[in-house]
Amino acid sequence: MKIINIFVLIRVGLASIFIVSGFEKLTGPYQNFLYVIEGYDIFPRLLELFTAHTIPWVEFFIGIFLFLGLWTIWALRGFLLMVTVFIVIVSQAILRQLPITECGCFGELMSFPLHIVLLFDSCLFLLTAGLILKMDQSTSLSLDKYFSSK
Amino acid sequence: MAKPSKTAATLIILGISVVAIIGIKTYIDNSRGTPVAAASARVKGPANAPAQIVEYIDFQCPACTYGAKYLSEFAKKYPSIVRLEMKYFPLTMHRHAFAAAQYAECAARQDKFWAVHDGLVNRQEQWKDLTDAKPAFEEIAKDAGLNSQKLQRCLADESILEHIKNDKGEGKTLGVQSTPTYFINGEMFVGPQSLITQLNKFLKGEDN
Repeated sequence: MKIINIFVLIRVGLASIFIVSGFEKLTGPYQNFLYVIEGYDIFPRLLELFTAHTIPWVEFFIGIFLFLGLWTIWALRGFLLMVTVFIVIVSQAILRQLPITECGCFGELMSFPLHIVLLFDSCLFLLTAGLILKMDQSTSLSLDKYFSSK
Repeated sequence: MAKPSKTAATLIILGISVVAIIGIKTYIDNSRGTPVAAASARVKGPANAPAQIVEYIDFQCPACTYGAKYLSEFAKKYPSIVRLEMKYFPLTMHRHAFAAAQYAECAARQDKFWAVHDGLVNRQEQWKDLTDAKPAFEEIAKDAGLNSQKLQRCLADESILEHIKNDKGEGKTLGVQSTPTYFINGEMFVGPQSLITQLNKFLKGEDN
């Protein structure tokens, strides 16, 4: 019996988080995500608008590529970079005691305190780093393997 | 059949994803509609004002208080620019938000919506962390001059609950997720910062 590859499961799990997150932002009004970004109070107005329009696409495509295992190493590096940025942004919000969960900025079902968000992001960081360290197992059942096979 | 190149596969996946997302977004946007006109008791400002604002409010949300105070000052300074309609969007994470909306709607039934609205907003710090906010709401209602018997009957009225839920349901259909969300001449703006930016444009005449 073939043992299920845990690294593939983690890869698909991480991919699903980004696909769902990106999809929800892309199909909903961008203004909701803009309000989230405004809440963190770190970017100038133009950069907030730019981020609100671009980050959902980046999230969605990293998720898709990770799910399919296409350009996996780049998708994982992108994922790790995004999660690192999230950790930095959430950490500064915690230090500045910004009232971010007060007004449903993440939607009503996602009203977690910031330290829970930070914990969640940290777990994502560790899992992604683990996948990068175990690239061979992580790219099982992937399009990368398909294209590299003769 | 020949195996496609990795680059070709990448381009196909990108293309399909972009078309799918744009298609789904267009479909959802087209089915959203616009806010239904609120009862006249929850409307203020001239009918022909250039900025027709519909606000989805949660009385327990601090950003809503900030936005409401800003709007109030703005309307005092420039009374001809803004017409404001209020809709309820009590968030489940705020335990007193629904009750606050009930008091506001019952005040609307006595034509005293704005007095209670202002009371709830201006005294939010005093009631938002209370275990039981009812005495604070009663005091706000009393100060606004509400008839106490009518108020108690109204608070027990199931149709008030339905009305608030309908407002919130309508907001969700429009894509409202957090508060305060404003529709200015039909365009959505979330949060006080976006409201201020947009109102400043009206002052500069960019959107007149």
